[in-house]
Amino acid sequence: MADSKADVVIVGAGAAGNLYAAKLSAAGKSVVVLDAGPAWKTDDLVSSLIWSRRLRWGGPAVESTGGHPFGVGFNSGWGFGGAALHHYGTWPRLMPSDFTMKSDHGKGLDWPISYNDLRPFYDRIQEEVGVSGDAKAEVWRPQGADYPLPPLEQFAQSRLIAKGFAALGMKTAPSPMAILSREYKGRPACIYDGWCDAGCPIGALANPLVTYHPVALKHGARFNAHAYATRLIQGKSASQVAGVEFIDAQGETHRQLGDVVILAASTVFNPTLLLNSRGPGWERGAANRSGLVGHYFMTHSIAALYGFFDKHETENYLGVTGAQQTNQDHYGKSSLGGAAFGSLQWQIAPTMKPNDLLGVAMSRADLFGKPLQDFMNRAVHHLAVMFGFGEGLPVHSNRVELTSRKGPGGTSLPRVVHQFAPASVGVWEQAAKLGLRVMAAAGAADSWPGPMASAHMMGGTIMGKDGATSVTDSFGRSHDIANLVIAGPGLFPTAGAMNPNFTNHAVSLRSVEHILDHWEDYRAA
Amino acid sequence: MDAQGYIDQRRRTFLQSAAIGLFAFSVSGCDALMSPEQARESGADFAVLSPGLVAILDVLGDALVPGAKAAGLAHYIDANLARDAGESLLMVRYLDVTTPQAQFYMAGLAALDSHCRTKNGKPFIQQSEAEATPIIASLLKGNPAGWDSIANAPPAPLFYLAVRGDAVDIVYGTMAGFEALDIPYAGHIDPKPAY
Repeated sequence: MADSKADVVIVGAGAAGNLYAAKLSAAGKSVVVLDAGPAWKTDDLVSSLIWSRRLRWGGPAVESTGGHPFGVGFNSGWGFGGAALHHYGTWPRLMPSDFTMKSDHGKGLDWPISYNDLRPFYDRIQEEVGVSGDAKAEVWRPQGADYPLPPLEQFAQSRLIAKGFAALGMKTAPSPMAILSREYKGRPACIYDGWCDAGCPIGALANPLVTYHPVALKHGARFNAHAYATRLIQGKSASQVAGVEFIDAQGETHRQLGDVVILAASTVFNPTLLLNSRGPGWERGAANRSGLVGHYFMTHSIAALYGFFDKHETENYLGVTGAQQTNQDHYGKSSLGGAAFGSLQWQIAPTMKPNDLLGVAMSRADLFGKPLQDFMNRAVHHLAVMFGFGEGLPVHSNRVELTSRKGPGGTSLPRVVHQFAPASVGVWEQAAKLGLRVMAAAGAADSWPGPMASAHMMGGTIMGKDGATSVTDSFGRSHDIANLVIAGPGLFPTAGAMNPNFTNHAVSLRSVEHILDHWEDYRAA
Repeated sequence: MDAQGYIDQRRRTFLQSAAIGLFAFSVSGCDALMSPEQARESGADFAVLSPGLVAILDVLGDALVPGAKAAGLAHYIDANLARDAGESLLMVRYLDVTTPQAQFYMAGLAALDSHCRTKNGKPFIQQSEAEATPIIASLLKGNPAGWDSIANAPPAPLFYLAVRGDAVDIVYGTMAGFEALDIPYAGHIDPKPAY
């Protein structure tokens, strides 16, 4: 089939890909987006955690291994909207200390930019998308504009657990959520039925299908579903990319050429695509002269704390899947003491449905038969939960790498190797102990921590100041290939303990405006 | 029908079934969209699982989550295994299993049976409740004796979590399950009908 050409080719129709497509097409650029999965629409988002499995990665399985294997399938997206289609809309900002870990503590890495560089982009994104919260109540919050919307409603389990924090002299505040507490820019307010995890068809939660995707379509961006990108096409030299090779649903190979190529194919598949792209000067893969493509894969540990409040209807089936309140008293990197190093953020009172990985039944995976029946009948009315998100430090050996398994087009399929640093395990251990104290102080009859889990994918294509120690500059532009931009949380050099999607949006907005401001420079490359 | 026509037909069938919460089953050679519970009641054919494996799954499912057999767990798993992996609704989709999903279930069920024969000298479906309970409980702790004699058997804890998760889905994760637990379903878009 004949090659086609656009100003910009974007791989991946998730949060970053849609934001880039919207801004570039609105500026008059011709944009083609390739996505491996289906072309979801909001009316596909059936309220069922069974049917929501369709929104998770549905391509060739990713191998996950290491001392603490990461749940790639659960955390990934599949199709238009990407992982953000089933994300929970918990949108805290990173803290200034997250950007200067190496300088401050001699551990981990530094970002090449500071919080103040991102601050105006956080402010603008929250205005564009709609974020609900109470900036004054978030006493930990870095400087920034107030939220455009008041906080979401609180339900019983949130109020119950908050009493435990208060009894220990700790603060709580409504979680900052990219979910509308009031109608905003034509989108309706949340109705608190707790189906965020299955995708929000009413558009109260800021999934890409209701934020930047419609803007991109309006301005003529062309989205291709079931278009599995296999490798980058080298330009006239190793410092130039000419486009992207992909395979369509019929198994036919195509070449989509572009002046600028943007990889927004997820933290796992961005490095996979780069490592599969070989040619003169790309012997270790494209954009990989540093040898760092795939390295410093990071995630957050999760300390899940459960407690029974038998005298109360905890209403755990109401609210939002993300969280109702937050506590960040232990965000300081050394604040937990002992062997722990890294930040901790509590997310209090997420909705629990009976089934699925984060559901009621999985809170006691050891139960089955009659004991499980009894537990379910009690728990759906009296269980409360909170999650402590712990920072996973950047570790070079945590990585995305290629395996001998072959996928579409003969490409090598990826493996994720992950093990938390001992100091990160220490954060989880301290969080579990602290969480039990909170639950006890709140008056929980029985409380217990779940096993160590993890969520969110970051790193693997980290940004930095030079080509020896990082893959891209602060705009996601490859140090090696001047018309190649990498997008998404894979750019983060540190993970903090904050859900990454707000920062993903802020970084993407900063980067896409840099491209537009320097278009001829990118294009000429 | 050519290959592309077959793919298109399957996709149309999937989309139709996804829209209304039903699965495609075959009864006496005729395809029909049914809930797993209806498929079980009507004796619909199994596309992937053998009668022997279905018998094990029926017993295991009910032991894990009472009511799973009547809810059509075996038909539910079988219907999903007959789909492309990218269209599967099974819990195994979350578990980063690189082997084909059908192999995961078939080898896991066979490994459970092998363990029972090794431990108690009889197949799983002949274990008494008193015998089966500690066997099932042991799965979460690692591969028990006899498990690894089955080629490509999945890790026992992973197999336990997958089948338990599927059974929880079909008993508690449906509109009927919510109603039985006395909690509101309140779907924005309901899966219809309740399966």
